Amino acid sequence: MPDQIGRAFSQQMGRRDLLRYTGMGVGVSAALAACKKASDTASQQPGASHAPLEQEPGNLQVFDWSGYGNGDYYPGKERLFLWQQYADQTGDTPKFILFENDDAGFTKVASGTHYDIVHPCAYRFRDYVDLGAVQPWDTSLIPNFSDLNPELEKFGQLDGKQYFIVEDWGFIAPLYRADKVTPQEDSWSLLFDTRYSGKISWIDTLEMLVIAGFYKGVSDPWQMTDDELGQMKDFLISTKGLVKFFWNQSYELFQAFKRDDVWIGYAWPDSYAYAKGAGLDVEYMNPKEGRITWSCGLGLFSDSENYYHGHAYVDSWSSAKAAGFLVGSYYYGHANTGGIDLTGIDPDIVKALSLDDLSILSPPNSNPESYIPERQKYADAWDEVKAS
Amino acid sequence: MVAVEPGSRRVTAGLLATPLLWLTLFFLIPVGFIAAYSIGAIHVLPTDPKVISFEDWHHFLIGDSIYLGLFWKSVRVSLVVSISVVLLAYPVGYFLALCVKKRKYVLLLVIIAPFLTSYLLRVLAWKVILGNRGVINSLLFDLHIRSPGDPVSWLIYSQFAVMLVLVYVWVPFVALPIFVGLDSLDRSLLEAAGDLGANRWRTFLRVTLPLSLPGAVAGFIFVFVPTIGEFVTPQLVGGTNGFLFGNAINDRFTKALDWQSGSVMAFFLLAVVALLMALFGRFAQVRNVRT
Repeated sequence: MPDQIGRAFSQQMGRRDLLRYTGMGVGVSAALAACKKASDTASQQPGASHAPLEQEPGNLQVFDWSGYGNGDYYPGKERLFLWQQYADQTGDTPKFILFENDDAGFTKVASGTHYDIVHPCAYRFRDYVDLGAVQPWDTSLIPNFSDLNPELEKFGQLDGKQYFIVEDWGFIAPLYRADKVTPQEDSWSLLFDTRYSGKISWIDTLEMLVIAGFYKGVSDPWQMTDDELGQMKDFLISTKGLVKFFWNQSYELFQAFKRDDVWIGYAWPDSYAYAKGAGLDVEYMNPKEGRITWSCGLGLFSDSENYYHGHAYVDSWSSAKAAGFLVGSYYYGHANTGGIDLTGIDPDIVKALSLDDLSILSPPNSNPESYIPERQKYADAWDEVKAS
Repeated sequence: MVAVEPGSRRVTAGLLATPLLWLTLFFLIPVGFIAAYSIGAIHVLPTDPKVISFEDWHHFLIGDSIYLGLFWKSVRVSLVVSISVVLLAYPVGYFLALCVKKRKYVLLLVIIAPFLTSYLLRVLAWKVILGNRGVINSLLFDLHIRSPGDPVSWLIYSQFAVMLVLVYVWVPFVALPIFVGLDSLDRSLLEAAGDLGANRWRTFLRVTLPLSLPGAVAGFIFVFVPTIGEFVTPQLVGGTNGFLFGNAINDRFTKALDWQSGSVMAFFLLAVVALLMALFGRFAQVRNVRT
């Protein structure tokens, strides 16, 4: 009986909320209506266990990268474009907890720290699912989901369920100062070029082993044999002396470019964007071995008490408004590929991201970032490279 | 012999209870956890082996692990930093305690003023100073000592940068115990040395230095213990050459998902530091008795 009273009360509150939200715009109302409808539907389904949005605690905790809503890179704009829709819809202000990279993020989650939303990249999706840390999304609660590129969303489907909503994507490629560096060829070899000793920066993740694998022609750098892994480790140890520093934040790489500390780097598109914005003469290479394409997505923690808040948040991130912001500010791609008006975007960005030709996301045009089954071995090898 | 009153014992026990409880909860038990984790007696991560094993200890101590070499590199860096800090901080403490007559505490405040700003900010400021386009290199360019195309590149992202920044950070901290030791020096001892014919240098060597040595050793320990496990400064200004043992431990825990080998390294570091502290402490005490 108390449950029934509580449910009746919550439905009353839901209707009042609906009236309040109606004034916030057609799009927002539609999204809320979708959530409300689904909430009611869910509560009517046998075994449905999610309290309606109004009964959820809120204070959504988002475990994310720096600059993806917390205001580190674009104070004000990040909120406006990435989660203002969510705030209008729910009245909630999310709290951001940041991780340095995918490895650090997963380690924290694996050690038992859970939040509501997590934002890993595709090659880590399987780890989260196997850990039981995330639950599948109900895409019917995400009105903007239909606008997302279905090919990209396939990366978020595991075991037949949509565990992650893929949002952002981009490249990994060599970035270099065109006024100071003359590559012998368009190749990852630039990261190991002895002519530029002390002017090179690598990323501080085990993906450097994968890069070495592509450069050395390993058949599958994501699943190297122990012998291949050992060879790549030795290769990186032997060339580490060329490297000035390993970067952890892409902004750190940009600053090093700006200070003239390095001229060549393993880079994401945002470093290219910042460097171009600062007036540096930089090129974002398309190496003959292929760029690596990454995609990242939002997952909902399995024990989150903010089921509908979570869906509202991911819907906000899936909007064309968020897509335009990511493309224009970070030079990242967005899964809402149909929502971006390319005519309003700097042609350099369109060229750098190949926004007018999404076949770039598939082999052989690029190498999608993949799951690494023997990740622990890769991690051990990379740590040895650094410690050697 | 003085009998100890039961009430006095209770007061002593009461006073000791809080710090002992604090130490037990936040030091002894966590250290116990680390020790247990290092042999697989505790497991938290899904990748942890579920058996008790000394394999990681064996690999670290007598296997082909490269981390032991990294540890000794950290010891060397920490020793250089600690000795440099004491050598630089001693004159500061001496000047403040024995030479300054007025406003010595104002000057002391000025010296420790950097502590009022963020540690991270102080370290990052060095990037501006040491970078290829930084303050030092720009000065060299202006003086035509180096050309803009050929800056002194080892100033930043190097072991030198790590040591320089750590010395800068710790000098004010070590100047304090040295100042306190010298400030409380019985000045009549200095007068007595002068009356007995010792010149200022001899007085310093035979009276001032021995009496201030416990403060200097304390300062040395204050620097050596934290810097041997330091990982923030190396990460910010160390580059590939400045990578230290603390960074390796941090990576094992936060990135490599291997808490067991990380625990081995952390516990080993703790044990060595405890041993060295015991040795230094004994040294300091001996010097104290001899004076």
